[in-house]
Amino acid sequence: MRRFVYVAKGVAWRSVHNTLVSPAILLPSLIFPLFFLAAFAGGLSRISDIPNFDYKPGYTAFQFAFVFLQSAAFGGVFTGFAVARDFDSGFARRLLLTAPRRSGIIAGYALGALGRWLITAVVITTAALAAGMNVSGGGIEIVGLIGLGIMMNLGSALWACGVAMFLRTEQAGALIQMPVFIVLFLAPVYVPLRLLTGWVHAVARLNPATATLEAARGLIAGSPTKVALSFALLAGGAVLTALWARRGLASAERAG
Amino acid sequence: MNSSSPAIEIEQLVREFRKGPRAVDGIDLAVSPGEIYGFLGPNGAGKSTTVLMLTTLLPPTSGRARVGGYDILRQGSQVRASIGAALQEAALDAILTGREHLMLQATLQGMPKADRTRRAQELLERVGLTEAADRRVGGYSGGMKRRLDLALALVHGPRILFLDEPTTGLDLQSRSALWEEVARLAKEEGMTVFLTTQYLEEADALADRVGIIDHGKIVAEGTPTQLKEEIGSPTVEVVPADAGAGDALAQRLASFGQLARNGRGAVTVQLPGGESQLAEVVRVLDQAHLKVASLQLHQPSLDDVFLAKTGRKLEGAGEDQDERQP
Repeated sequence: MRRFVYVAKGVAWRSVHNTLVSPAILLPSLIFPLFFLAAFAGGLSRISDIPNFDYKPGYTAFQFAFVFLQSAAFGGVFTGFAVARDFDSGFARRLLLTAPRRSGIIAGYALGALGRWLITAVVITTAALAAGMNVSGGGIEIVGLIGLGIMMNLGSALWACGVAMFLRTEQAGALIQMPVFIVLFLAPVYVPLRLLTGWVHAVARLNPATATLEAARGLIAGSPTKVALSFALLAGGAVLTALWARRGLASAERAG
Repeated sequence: MNSSSPAIEIEQLVREFRKGPRAVDGIDLAVSPGEIYGFLGPNGAGKSTTVLMLTTLLPPTSGRARVGGYDILRQGSQVRASIGAALQEAALDAILTGREHLMLQATLQGMPKADRTRRAQELLERVGLTEAADRRVGGYSGGMKRRLDLALALVHGPRILFLDEPTTGLDLQSRSALWEEVARLAKEEGMTVFLTTQYLEEADALADRVGIIDHGKIVAEGTPTQLKEEIGSPTVEVVPADAGAGDALAQRLASFGQLARNGRGAVTVQLPGGESQLAEVVRVLDQAHLKVASLQLHQPSLDDVFLAKTGRKLEGAGEDQDERQP
């Protein structure tokens, strides 16, 4: 166990260190969510005027919940890109060669993804508050919201690690990103679920990201809804993606 | 592993790649503790694939191997803890500094923080990277990267060191510095070194024993001296001061062994009794009052050994082979 912890610690440290010292790594993970926040919350704010749109904290908070979770998910995706880059550059081989407990490498990448996302989360929350976002939820609700983000980040990072380790090339980027992108954007991003119609409504109703998004919005509004369901779904997703990542690692070990 | 058991033991090790030939085709070998074993062969012979298997980076298709007393398949974690390796490509992170690389490596190996700092400094000094220690590795020269790679392999004080073509692409000065360090590690620290190379002089200068691999099979093994003796005796080339004395020279030297006549009256003769016959050659020339411009002893080289065992010269021998570069 001690060896596992040391390996995880080393890999996570490198991930966070490289994010902090390299603008090329840090900026995309900040710019994308900030752009979404500005474009959605600012440019589409009149959407909240449509009938039956009754989200009390306002459209900025409504969109913030999405951007918050999206940044968590994409924090994991960006880590997947880094894993793929490590395979292309050969650095992953150094990790495989050095780490006595190789499963610690996955844990390290996941912890690194969390560290990177926390930086992004602080920046976008500050930006949203500066833009006048109302938060009706109390301390416990905010902790719950952060918990949802952490679980989302974890699941996404493990998914991305798995794909990167199976394919071991930067060309895996599209495959890492696309499913996360589709799942997120087939949730009720711009309006509440009940205002969606047609196939988009049908898909969004079945999409597990919908429950998480609604839970996040409920926590910000101070009226929690579907929180337990969301945590259960995210925990299930984390278990599945952890198994996926472990299989990816085994594939990388077999390939040399 | 006790002191008498081999540091590295391989039995019928095979690695096949899909749609490819057997990169390693049933090799057997044993390396004793503290020994420098040179694994010599052209590009694509199977050297790197063997190293990847022994360092647990690639599972074998069949066969067995124990490194440091641990099975490479079942006890990979213990194998990795007891070895250090510098592979063909010094895979470094361009964003990290040399010191950060060493600290990261020490963390991955589970060293306490105080030891990490001390060990990093010690190794930076040993490989001559103290001044560049806090610079990003992206700006290092090829030689500096190789030296850092070696330092990284030594962070946790391994008992066994794998070096996969460590001097490829290095200038002469960096090459000889690395040779000195490898020799010191084996001699002073009792480290077992498994070294792959395609340079004959490297194997000759460093290795206690050499295994020659070709097409995935070991075709010869022994000390460099044994291997050379196996394929023939040394020769002496005598160039007379007077080019017209070539016939007389050939007549006198014919009694030693097979002769070859070269230009300007020079004669080359084999010494079946070995280099100890050189004194006798000098005596014969002196008694015959033959004046000599030069006299040179030629020992058989490992290249001659490779030629004798494979029918090809080592240089360029890999061009027709196709080892997967994993």
